[in-house]
Amino acid sequence: MLVIYTGATGDMQVNFNPFTPGSPSTGPIYEPLFFYNTARADPPQPRLGQKFSWNADGTQLSITLRQGVKWSDGQPFTSRDVVFTLDLLAKNKALNTTGYRGKATAVDDTHVSVKFDEPSFVDGPQLLGRIYIVPEHVWKSVADPTTAQMRNPVATGPYLEDDVKPQAYTVKANPSHWGGEPAIKRVRVLSLSGNQAGAAAIRAGQIDWQTGPVPNVKNAEQAYPGYKVIITPVNQMVLDTCSNPDLGCKGPQTDPAVRQAIYYAVNRTQLNALAFENTSSEISPSLALLERDQAFISGRLQNKVAPMQPDEARAQQILEGAGYAKGADGIYAKDGKPLQLTLKTVSGWTDYITAVNALSQQLKKAGIKVTAQQLSFNEWSDARGRGDYELIIDSLSQGPAADPFYVYSYFYGSDTTEKVGKQAGTNVSRFTDPQVDAAIAALKKIDPKDTAARQPQFDTIQTRIEQAMPYIPLLTQGTISVYNATKFTGWPTKEDLYAFPAAWQSPDNSEIFRRLKPTGK
Amino acid sequence: MLYYLRKIAFYLVALWTAVTLNFLIPRMMPGDPVTILLAKAQQRGGVDPAARRAYELMLGTDTGEPLFTQYLLYLRNMARGDFGISVSSFPAPVSEVIAASLPWTVVLVGLATVLSVLTGITLGALVGWRRGTWLDSLVPATTVLSAVPYFWLALVLVAVFSSALGWFPLLGGYDVNLTPGWSGEFLASAVYYGILPAATIVISSIGGWLLGMRNMMVSTMAEDYVRTAVAKGLRNRRIMVWYAARNAALPSIAGFAISLGFVVAGSVVTEQVFSYPGIGSKLLQAVENNDYALMQGIFLVITVAVLGANLVVDLLYSIVDPRTRAGAAT
Repeated sequence: MLVIYTGATGDMQVNFNPFTPGSPSTGPIYEPLFFYNTARADPPQPRLGQKFSWNADGTQLSITLRQGVKWSDGQPFTSRDVVFTLDLLAKNKALNTTGYRGKATAVDDTHVSVKFDEPSFVDGPQLLGRIYIVPEHVWKSVADPTTAQMRNPVATGPYLEDDVKPQAYTVKANPSHWGGEPAIKRVRVLSLSGNQAGAAAIRAGQIDWQTGPVPNVKNAEQAYPGYKVIITPVNQMVLDTCSNPDLGCKGPQTDPAVRQAIYYAVNRTQLNALAFENTSSEISPSLALLERDQAFISGRLQNKVAPMQPDEARAQQILEGAGYAKGADGIYAKDGKPLQLTLKTVSGWTDYITAVNALSQQLKKAGIKVTAQQLSFNEWSDARGRGDYELIIDSLSQGPAADPFYVYSYFYGSDTTEKVGKQAGTNVSRFTDPQVDAAIAALKKIDPKDTAARQPQFDTIQTRIEQAMPYIPLLTQGTISVYNATKFTGWPTKEDLYAFPAAWQSPDNSEIFRRLKPTGK
Repeated sequence: MLYYLRKIAFYLVALWTAVTLNFLIPRMMPGDPVTILLAKAQQRGGVDPAARRAYELMLGTDTGEPLFTQYLLYLRNMARGDFGISVSSFPAPVSEVIAASLPWTVVLVGLATVLSVLTGITLGALVGWRRGTWLDSLVPATTVLSAVPYFWLALVLVAVFSSALGWFPLLGGYDVNLTPGWSGEFLASAVYYGILPAATIVISSIGGWLLGMRNMMVSTMAEDYVRTAVAKGLRNRRIMVWYAARNAALPSIAGFAISLGFVVAGSVVTEQVFSYPGIGSKLLQAVENNDYALMQGIFLVITVAVLGANLVVDLLYSIVDPRTRAGAAT
């Protein structure tokens, strides 16, 4: 039995509806058509699908399904289940969290064709990798699929529901899974009170895999004998700035020169040491991941990598060029207004609080006064969404595939933003730029395989966002996982990152469950 | 009769006020459930912008109805016992979430309260009886323990008995390897896991009961009937228990009935420190996620419990002590 801790607190609820938030076991129980590795630029791995192809203009997707797959109640899996699932999402806007807009038809038992009104190459990973296929013969009689708890899930995944208790749920191996019965017979997911409890449980050997910070990461392998640590750099830590005065943003950070000056004045090496135990790594101002997306990073950038050491002279030059003058207190001012900003963070996020304090010290040296403000998570997320802030320390999340396009479309596209005062989608900086919008629109029409055609668009986006800098890049934060390498083999490693190693990440976790082998120790 | 009607009418008005506040207060909190849900999801990797619209529809937060219509709807649903669906434990109904956590709190805090009252009253009677002896030092000792912050006491107990000595489990309500039910093994585990949280409650509340009982005891012992009993040559033990303590305990019993009402409110802090699966941790979860439905459900349960306990005490008192009813006769 593999025991994992995902960071979940509070009681576990019975919920095997893969379309609802917080459904505990979508990955191991239900399966998507393909597995997209977000940690490495791998080709999609077949799951319920065998292969897929787009037509030339990206309006039609043809999928060939795996043959001989059976649902856990013994019924055969066919193209009708796939069409039913896609239609279910198209009909129920409340379930359609992936924004699916196609029209699916079954060509025969193993072939599905999905038509789109416009070129939709970039919707592929969501559709193929993040939509979990449900059985038509069970779900057609579900009265309200939005609130159904699906107590006895019928699915195709490598694991079946075993039992759910308020403090743990367990899944057991599916003996008739198309890929063969997994070697790990049971997986139990615990609910504990937080990361501290998780670290205590690892020390006691009660948990085999935990994703989340542990004290003294650098020496964790000595502190927890038999355990190993893997740090995967994916979260790009940034300062969100409410950047767009046209949409109602107020404050000095609406001036790009101020954002640039902050970018150069930050001492990233010191920040990493003080706040993150040196577990973070460099970041690119293109906001493409340095390891994973190396091939996409434009040669036209001023810096491919954000400077780890501060360049105060450069910051000074930028500010003075923009009409700022240093006052008697050492703080810059323009038109009689001192250059002071508030930086919001969540009380209790100790690493960010340390980072924010270090930042305000560093920026003070460069003549920028930054006051830290701690909020409850609720207030913080509300302020961020409504644009009621000057600076916020935050991290940008990645899309459903190893492709920087998603970061650009989520955080820089003008269709995911809103005026200040209304909740924005994902673009909380309120950044709008016609060139970036045009490039995002163009990328939607280009087959992701055609990298030569995509690069000019990436060049445009990356050079624009490096100048405008609505999100000021700080560091790339590592996701820390601690796992028991004595009891189990087959974990993803830096050399073989076959899935994103986070216990909470579905369906990556089920890919890992499937590959692990008990050593018998 | 008029007296009882007036009492009941008063309680109905109090209930309505509480229920209305339940509706209003959560809606004054910053943020909304969907924003919080999405912000949490973003901490953990990708969320498609389309998710916002979907979750708004799914959680029904975007009804677009005016506040007053929402209020009427809320009153109707409350009357029917339909508390809606919890956002933080979606899609579980609120009634299910409460039903799963309420017994833990009622048993833990209930038993701890009973234990603390019984011990407090017994010790108080003894200290009052033997006043002036070394037993008097129990009063400042227990009062100091009551003054110690609740969470700090809990942390000290955890540090000493769980972390250092390893006698008790660190956290949780029972051994997660067992299946909840009426099996002996599970009950034993629940009791074992409950000892430290219960001890926190008992230690921190015993002082108040002890002090109150002791003071009542002292004044009761000056009464004529106690002196008569002594003059009659009754045994000391009989005088202490049947003449003094019985009368001295009356105010404590009233206080106990009221404190039972607060059992449901639980002790949010204790449950948080011990990760106990009770209603207090659910309340915290609801507040953290702006889960209006769950908050309203829990507040309603608490309100009804407190008002109910008060009503029972009020009515009982008018029977036990007719003087409280005197107003009705004139």
